[in-house]
Amino acid sequence: MARIGMTTTVPVEIILAGGHVPVDLNNVFITGAEPVRRVEAAEDDGYPRNICGWIKGLYSTVVGTDCVDAVIAVTQGDCSNTHALMETWQLAGVQVIPFAYPFDRDADLLRLQMEKLAGALAADWAAVLRQKRDADRIRRKVAEIDRLTWKENKVGGLDNHLFQVSCSDFNSDPARFEADVDDFLRKTAGLPARSSELRLGYIGVPPIFTDLYSYLESQGARVVFNEVQRQFAMPYDDPDIVEQYRRYTYPYGIFGRLADIQAEVDRRQLDGVIHYVQSFCYRQIEDMIVRRQLKVPILTIEGDKPGCMDARTRLRVDGFIEMLK
Amino acid sequence: MFCGMDLGSRAVKIVLHDGQKVREEKIVETARFYKTCGKHSNAGFAVDFGALLTETPTSVTVTGYGRNSLTIVDAEIISELKAHMLGAVWQTGLTDFTLLDLGGQDSKVIRVRGGRMDDFLLNDKCAASTGRYLENMAAVLGISLDELSKHYEEPVELSATCAIFGESELIGKIVEGIPVSRLAAGVNYSIFRRIKPMLLSLASETTVFTGGVALGPAIAHWLQKEINTRVVVPAQPQLNGAIGCAIHAWEKSGGH
Repeated sequence: MARIGMTTTVPVEIILAGGHVPVDLNNVFITGAEPVRRVEAAEDDGYPRNICGWIKGLYSTVVGTDCVDAVIAVTQGDCSNTHALMETWQLAGVQVIPFAYPFDRDADLLRLQMEKLAGALAADWAAVLRQKRDADRIRRKVAEIDRLTWKENKVGGLDNHLFQVSCSDFNSDPARFEADVDDFLRKTAGLPARSSELRLGYIGVPPIFTDLYSYLESQGARVVFNEVQRQFAMPYDDPDIVEQYRRYTYPYGIFGRLADIQAEVDRRQLDGVIHYVQSFCYRQIEDMIVRRQLKVPILTIEGDKPGCMDARTRLRVDGFIEMLK
Repeated sequence: MFCGMDLGSRAVKIVLHDGQKVREEKIVETARFYKTCGKHSNAGFAVDFGALLTETPTSVTVTGYGRNSLTIVDAEIISELKAHMLGAVWQTGLTDFTLLDLGGQDSKVIRVRGGRMDDFLLNDKCAASTGRYLENMAAVLGISLDELSKHYEEPVELSATCAIFGESELIGKIVEGIPVSRLAAGVNYSIFRRIKPMLLSLASETTVFTGGVALGPAIAHWLQKEINTRVVVPAQPQLNGAIGCAIHAWEKSGGH
């Protein structure tokens, strides 16, 4: 049994089927004691200042720690900075397993990638399918938390974010995570519905800011749609595992994501959408497309290093909420 | 009497307004304001209005960069975007326009429709599209900000993407013997280039231009020429945010 890190969401069923422990390095980095020190440590090792904070955080979450035994690095379907991240890990002696989502969502290529990953992790395909059944049971419960967020108005934006984003690796312990989800659902059932809040969507990669959701709620606005986090939680309930990772929008370009976002904007009756972009990320270019295509008021905010939102960002958020009220 | 205050990064702008017109105005350098125009207390900063204004205000409304971090005692706080929008609507009488405010620490573009904010953009994390950049460059050229903002003929090409490195580039051009008027025009054009994409994405037939820089003709020249918009500079562009604060209080009291 090995601890297998991942740079972004990969078919977690395969890691579990191999008898390994999945570790989403993003979650380890951002929930660690001092994430900003991780970024600085990468810069001390020579990472440029004008490179994404997540990449730097991931780098030093692995290098010089015993956090994981090997890392699955997504070489297609995330960002090209991951290539250099892989190489600097290899330089530091970290074992790296590449995984690529095919650009055109080709089912055969995706199946091949999944089979190669299963081979690398000594996972038997029948076991993969068993793990999928268990994972889907947990995902359905997390989808219920999402429904309680937007439909019943009982869950805040942060809890919605945390439970969904944790589905990439089920917090490295699916049984314990499922128990946490059950516990949360039990506690939430008796809560009264919240009212008279602005309904916001959050789109883009998860925020590097630690106080976004609480700040929004202090200003009378609640996130009832976390786009990429919901994708991590695979809300499709598709029995075919290849099809499931084809429907997963995040690795396949902006237009598929936009169709999903617009459908949820309408279904969840959102007043506005916050588009989060990471400093120095290629997805900043896609903001241009997001603004032209989505039919809803949009605020774009940018984050660089981990921590609370700066005054400039709060100013933008305040202005946006004021505009929507 | 409604007091509006715009706590800027460079200057604090204060107006006393009766709902019809500005009765009194004061501009105090920010550091001096906090040192000499009141005192800090547990409840926030208590402004000594007696020393600043001839009349005592009935209400105080503030906005500005410090609004997230500083409290003025007994004052209502409104956002900068709202303050500037209200100020521009009141000063121009227009309800459909794009507002460009070039502030000391940021530049704002706000699209206004039917007298309400419809969308907005603020400059990215960079000093090179702010009034502060212009102040620094004016200092390098040895001229005042007022003088700088007059020049738009034959702008020299400035390519540095950074407000700090821009200074050394400008010094290089001075060494080459290029006239100050062309250098000043180049500085003005470089800042216009930075705000142009924001303006294009929220364009209107009319652009209301505020901030102290709006007193000079240079930026307005390119707004007209390259954005193809009618430019309106209100009578007191540098007091626009403070006026908006006072108007907010006046409207709340039943004025319209």
